[in-house]
Amino acid sequence: MFRKILIANRGEIAVRILRACREMGIPSVCVFSEVDRTSLHVRLADEAYGIGPAPSRESYLRIDRLMDVARRTRCDAIHPGYGFLAENPAFARACAEAAVTFIGPSAEAMEMMGSKTAGKQLARRCEVPTVPGTDNPIADAEEVQSLARAMGYPVVLKAIAGGGGKGMRVVPSDEAFSSCWRDASSEAFNAFGDRRVFLEKYLESPRHIEIQILADSHGRVVSLGERECSVQRRHQKVIEEAPSTIVTPELRRKMGEAAVRLARAGGYVNAGTVEFLVDASLNFYFLEVNTRLQVEHPVTEQVTGLDLVKLQIAIAAGLRLPFAWETITPRGHAMEVRLYAEDPDNNFFPCAGKILARRTAAGPGIRLDEGVYRGWTVPLEYDPLLSKLIAWGNSREEAIARLRRALDEYTISGIRTNISLFRRILAEPEFLSGDIHTTWLDQLLARPRPPAVAAARASEAAAAIAAAYWECIEATNFVDGRVPAGAPSRWKLDGRRSQLDRQP
Amino acid sequence: MKFEVLLESAAGRSKRVVELEKEGATYKVSLDGQPVDADMVLAAPNAISIILNGAAFEFHMAPAAEGGYLLQTGALEFHATVCDPRVWRGRKPGAHEAEGRQRIIAPMPGKVIRLLVKTGDEVEAGQGLMVVEAMKMQNEIRSPKKGKVERLEATEGQPVNAGDTLAWVE
Repeated sequence: MFRKILIANRGEIAVRILRACREMGIPSVCVFSEVDRTSLHVRLADEAYGIGPAPSRESYLRIDRLMDVARRTRCDAIHPGYGFLAENPAFARACAEAAVTFIGPSAEAMEMMGSKTAGKQLARRCEVPTVPGTDNPIADAEEVQSLARAMGYPVVLKAIAGGGGKGMRVVPSDEAFSSCWRDASSEAFNAFGDRRVFLEKYLESPRHIEIQILADSHGRVVSLGERECSVQRRHQKVIEEAPSTIVTPELRRKMGEAAVRLARAGGYVNAGTVEFLVDASLNFYFLEVNTRLQVEHPVTEQVTGLDLVKLQIAIAAGLRLPFAWETITPRGHAMEVRLYAEDPDNNFFPCAGKILARRTAAGPGIRLDEGVYRGWTVPLEYDPLLSKLIAWGNSREEAIARLRRALDEYTISGIRTNISLFRRILAEPEFLSGDIHTTWLDQLLARPRPPAVAAARASEAAAAIAAAYWECIEATNFVDGRVPAGAPSRWKLDGRRSQLDRQP
Repeated sequence: MKFEVLLESAAGRSKRVVELEKEGATYKVSLDGQPVDADMVLAAPNAISIILNGAAFEFHMAPAAEGGYLLQTGALEFHATVCDPRVWRGRKPGAHEAEGRQRIIAPMPGKVIRLLVKTGDEVEAGQGLMVVEAMKMQNEIRSPKKGKVERLEATEGQPVNAGDTLAWVE
């Protein structure tokens, strides 16, 4: 096993990895940028080293500084977490050169599977279905139309140089083909000076379903089942759950086998995720491979009872996976929400600031993976993910009820968060019946939100009293800087409170 | 003490008058002139627990960027503006200058780059108290009234959040 592990990340995932190391009895080293000196991962660390100024390209993305810390602290392994350098083959290579184990796949496997085009080619080679379409751009309308007929409508035309939706047209039927072709190719020509287009099958309201795999260095590759991540806001996952409401045991087996085949073909070792789109008739199509630990890995951990980070470390240390895929049966249902410091009333604009008050959620079936605490200032420089709130229940209904209950308990004040978004989603009949797809949330957000008038009325009187009382406290605090006569000392109050917090 | 509280929420705007009268360690509370059975406790920093006629509430308090407070409870959010009793009593129609002790708050997150006055200085209404830099713009924070700088809560170079108290002018 490793002597010491460098955690090349920050925030909640650094805390998550640190906890795994501690459970395994492996010392770990944390790194931090100038603004992260007081971050939770540094407060919890065994050892911590500054690696530069706040912008990530001057700190968390500096391979040289990370390798330097690894060398100085005699670390023999590095866990990259997700984001930052996690999918950077150059970092994996730098580790290999320094004889430090990179906890993840090899640089070669990353290159072969990580990029969308290379991944798609590999998928075709090992007979994993991909979205049907042309590999080469075509300029001839008749040729495209005959291909479209063979493929079956609807199809989508995409300009070769396209981007931002320009030169893209969804063709619903054969009758509409010629007008759509005209629009797409002239738009493409006007925008990019190139008439050629790709033809792809258009998936209507597809679902995003991914398979978690684990592969050891002894040739064993297992699928840990699926996660459904169809609730997305502008292609960003917002809620993840396992199992999916539409995946049958038969489909789960087929998707799992496809993912395992792909991982074998790519010589993949360690944890990875194969993402698929699934259409209404349960056909699945390869999307891409994420060659790292996913943000939403706790969902799989809750239903399988496995600790993916510890397994990643064990695999990197050359140990064999202790189980076969046949033995993994998901139990119950798990659902995760990602709480971000962003303002849902202002187009989800990131909101940094100081956390003034915080009440956490706990209780049956609740797991909170986070990197925040009261009094901490959320920095502007990084992804504003605060916490991942995960609920587990015997059924999807129970998981949702627990998540709702936990969201009512969880409050953060001083900064804006997207908590209200989840309260809304978790009350939507379509979500409750599992009738979701990748553009469902964007459509929901386009509809006006009914205001919670009755609930607000019921709390109005109490809110007025709270505001007046708060004004009173603020004013008294100022007048002499001391506690008003007759009130217990604040030191005493705080002492009592911390005693209470210490109760098991 | 009598407070006029202006509330804004999903239920719209409303104005409530709250009277808090100290009675030993607790307060006697009346709402819009009617006595109510209310028990208030500061349960944790910035967290007020209230039991109003048996119904339990917890509000998390934060200063609002535009002034006043944000109160969060479960899924609900209230914005409250509380009028200081002295300001309220002394309000004259058409008066532009604020009266009573004024809390000067930071209108936006930023950094105090220069203090223009000292504690104890006499200031005119509209006189600059300090300069706060936010998003590369320098903003002068001015006194809302003629009076004396009672206390400066900010120091030069200090980063501030929206709603932080910067100074008090009496």
